[in-house]
Amino acid sequence: MPPITRSTVDRLDQPSAYYHSRNNKRRRNDRDRDGKDGRDGDTDMADAKPEEPPEDPLRNATTLYVGNLSFYTTEEQVYELFSKCGEIKRLVMGLDRFQKTPCGFCFVEYYTHQDALDCMKYIGGTKLDERVIRTDLDPGFEEGRQYGRGKSGGQVRDEYRDDFDEGRGGLGRAIQSERMRESERNRERDGHNEDDYGRLR
Amino acid sequence: MADYDRRPAGGGYNNRKRRYRDDDDYDRRPQRRRYDAPLHVRIRKQLLSLAESPLRRWHEDVQSIAQLIADGHDDQDVQTTILDLVPQMVLEQPLKIPFVAAVVLVINSLKPEFLDTLLVRITSTTEERVKDGEWRDVKLYLKFLACLQSCFEGDGLFSVLEELFSRAVDLQTASSDDTIGTELVKIILLTIPYILAAAPSTQSQQKAAELMDKTDIIASEPHALQVLIDPYHAEGGTESPAANMSIVGLLQKQLQTEAASGWSLSCLPRPWRMPLEEIEQQEKLDNAQKHALPTISLPDKVAAGPRPLFPEVYYSVYIQEDIESVPPVTNIASSLIRDALLDTINVLHFNRNVTARFLIDADCYFAPGTFIKRATPFDRLREVDSDRSSWKPEDVAVDAVFSQLFQLPTPEHKLVYYHSVLTEACKIAPAAIAPSLGRAIRYCYQNSHRLDLELGYRFLDWFTHHLSNFGFMWKWTEWVEDVNLSDMHPCKSFILGALDKEIRLSFAHRIKGTLPEPYQALIGPEKEQDTPEFKFNNEHTPFSAEGKELAALLKRKAPEEEIQSVIDRIHSVALDQAIDPLVTSTDIFMTAVCWVGSKSLSHVLACIERNKDRLLDAGAASEAARAQIITAVMNYWSAHPGVAIIIIEKLLNYSIVTPGAVIDWALVNDRAGPYGQALSKAWVFELVFNTVVKVTSRLHQVVKSGTSEGLQEEITAMRDLFKAMDDALVSWAQGTKDQLMDPIVSDGGEDLVKRWGERWLRVFRRRSAIEEAFLNENQTSTENV
Repeated sequence: MPPITRSTVDRLDQPSAYYHSRNNKRRRNDRDRDGKDGRDGDTDMADAKPEEPPEDPLRNATTLYVGNLSFYTTEEQVYELFSKCGEIKRLVMGLDRFQKTPCGFCFVEYYTHQDALDCMKYIGGTKLDERVIRTDLDPGFEEGRQYGRGKSGGQVRDEYRDDFDEGRGGLGRAIQSERMRESERNRERDGHNEDDYGRLR
Repeated sequence: MADYDRRPAGGGYNNRKRRYRDDDDYDRRPQRRRYDAPLHVRIRKQLLSLAESPLRRWHEDVQSIAQLIADGHDDQDVQTTILDLVPQMVLEQPLKIPFVAAVVLVINSLKPEFLDTLLVRITSTTEERVKDGEWRDVKLYLKFLACLQSCFEGDGLFSVLEELFSRAVDLQTASSDDTIGTELVKIILLTIPYILAAAPSTQSQQKAAELMDKTDIIASEPHALQVLIDPYHAEGGTESPAANMSIVGLLQKQLQTEAASGWSLSCLPRPWRMPLEEIEQQEKLDNAQKHALPTISLPDKVAAGPRPLFPEVYYSVYIQEDIESVPPVTNIASSLIRDALLDTINVLHFNRNVTARFLIDADCYFAPGTFIKRATPFDRLREVDSDRSSWKPEDVAVDAVFSQLFQLPTPEHKLVYYHSVLTEACKIAPAAIAPSLGRAIRYCYQNSHRLDLELGYRFLDWFTHHLSNFGFMWKWTEWVEDVNLSDMHPCKSFILGALDKEIRLSFAHRIKGTLPEPYQALIGPEKEQDTPEFKFNNEHTPFSAEGKELAALLKRKAPEEEIQSVIDRIHSVALDQAIDPLVTSTDIFMTAVCWVGSKSLSHVLACIERNKDRLLDAGAASEAARAQIITAVMNYWSAHPGVAIIIIEKLLNYSIVTPGAVIDWALVNDRAGPYGQALSKAWVFELVFNTVVKVTSRLHQVVKSGTSEGLQEEITAMRDLFKAMDDALVSWAQGTKDQLMDPIVSDGGEDLVKRWGERWLRVFRRRSAIEEAFLNENQTSTENV
């Protein structure tokens, strides 16, 4: 492989810092899960070829994680936009773990690595359904990853968000339920109930 | 400097984080003396940002960097940095070539020995790129060397150009269809002005004149393929606005004009000229050591390179305006600026933000006074004094991107790249770019009747994608009168196509909200409905009961036999009624699949997957049944053709329907719209175009994989497909189609249909010709091996 020369400007077809940091933390786990070469990181590496760097799981990635979608964005809309970079092989919408409704992300799989890179360059950071979306190269969809990992079933980022985002269910869910509880408490304390509603206090 | 990166571990106020890094011996983070970055790092940074400042202190920038480099010449890191970075900048940031060259020229006056290694590096790389047929890289290196002409002994770069020309002659004499020779001539003609800007001696002028005498025959002869790639498809009896716009032809003429006026080349920057107060520096430069240009040997037979070459046409959306907002094609500036911008755009595909920045800052990289102040409103151009430039930098930039969007047969990158560049440019400088885009849109809209149909579709696709990034805002009021035109009028067809595409990226209600009253009727209630009605839910639809029953079975994933028994029942009833049983059952079944899967694409695709054997059998059974599968999908999704197109695409992948069936359905049997109306619908074009692309890219895959197995079948299938399209379209174009004869439509709509037929025909004949050329090329290349 020729040495990789650094471009004179940054490239947009690189995986995000998020992917790298997450990947480093979970490297051991990933390897254990990966049945094809169940090497366990450092120990086996020493036996085999110590100087060979581990195979980059994104080297031929054809899948993209797409984030910051509106909960209301449909598969058809994703298709319409993402097809501009090549034919889509598979589309997996991210769902709320409990309600099974879209929760603002998806995986787009292309037939070729090049299409995925082009998508990073040309579609990541542009708008879909009037929201700036985020794309990240992904080693590939696995069953289970379509569900949000947040406490309440959606994406983690929607738990503690304190801005009001209409396309993503308003405030963060933790904050919402906190507020709900609070108003509940207030109501109890004030001794009001539904019947009292509208009565002068 | 002694303590640079030698701070002892621990201590200091920032100790808290040390806990996480205790495997480190000491803290490597530079903590205070950030300005002590190593010399080569500073040089890299300065060189990369060369000429970016709008203050235009070119000579100061150039001298300070050159001084830094000359001072650090003994530093190994500095040497490697420069030797790598200079050639890389030439390729990746073409607008800065003259400025990088100026730095090198000043270095030459300080440390002439530095140039020896650099020149060897550049010329040997140029040789390699010639061998690989990477013509853009060759052009950029030559441009760089041209800017250094003043420090070469003897003829300098001219001898290389002469050599290149002799190769071009060989190629052109060998074949009149040759495109590499034309490309070489283009490179020669684009290099000459930089030589003359760098070394404006009488000797150079004479050399240039000699060369141009020779290039004239090749450059001025219209290329055989030019008609094929003309962006306009002029109506009978009229001439295409781009008929005389061959890029090499224009260049040749522009250079001759320039030669006649003493090579003023007023748009080119000359950062190697020092201002009057720096006369000493200028003298040093003029008297710096001369170098022999290392030979660049060219192979006897030059390679075509990875990208197929085609003659190029100069395309501009602003050129027909009454005020000169872009350089006219008579001026060499039009070619030089366009060339530099196009290279910038196409090279920097990996960072559209940087590309957009370069486009917005384009005026920084040309001579002062080349452009009018940024963001000057178009109406103000009238007030500009006649001796000053009225060229709007944003018009020139937008024009360059449009020339790529409208490049035939295809631009270098995916079209969506050029969309994204315009989006970013519009985000960076909305006040400057948006009005220019608006004028470009109006021009394209008004010319939609004579734009090549494929380009018309590209325009539609870009326009709607662009609007989707900017809140779907467009001044629809200005086209209000066109709403009442016949749906077959090119302008109305554009409006209808645009609204459909907008809805696909958004939803009907939202788009309706952006439209003035007269447009509201174009978006019917059926478009606002997420899930279309299932026609068999209506008791009056024949086979209503069977339709509902099949849907219910599909929904609960019932076993095959249960479905088959309903199908059998349909068949026997159909036989009794003397209608085609298979067509009847296929319609009911496929419609039920669509309805059951109407919740989302995943649903319908899963449903198709589960029932693919049945659909495969139906599709294979008869042509009529195959067509019925398409009809069922199209009818069910008639309000949302985009969804139908995706489903058809997947059915093609499963081979449930064939490409031929799609073409038949769309163009032959009137199913996509009566009396040739189908031809005016953007989504029909999209469906057919996608299908053809699917077939041809499949063929390319097979050819590239190198297997001969199945190749001949693929080739035959593709040729048959093009033949079928040709037959169908010819009859529309010539008006011999039966349906066209129908008296009902003989109200003048006939000419419109014929015109649509002609436009379709041109697109697919071109595709066919290109595929044949591809096959031809690959056959000969395999034979040669």
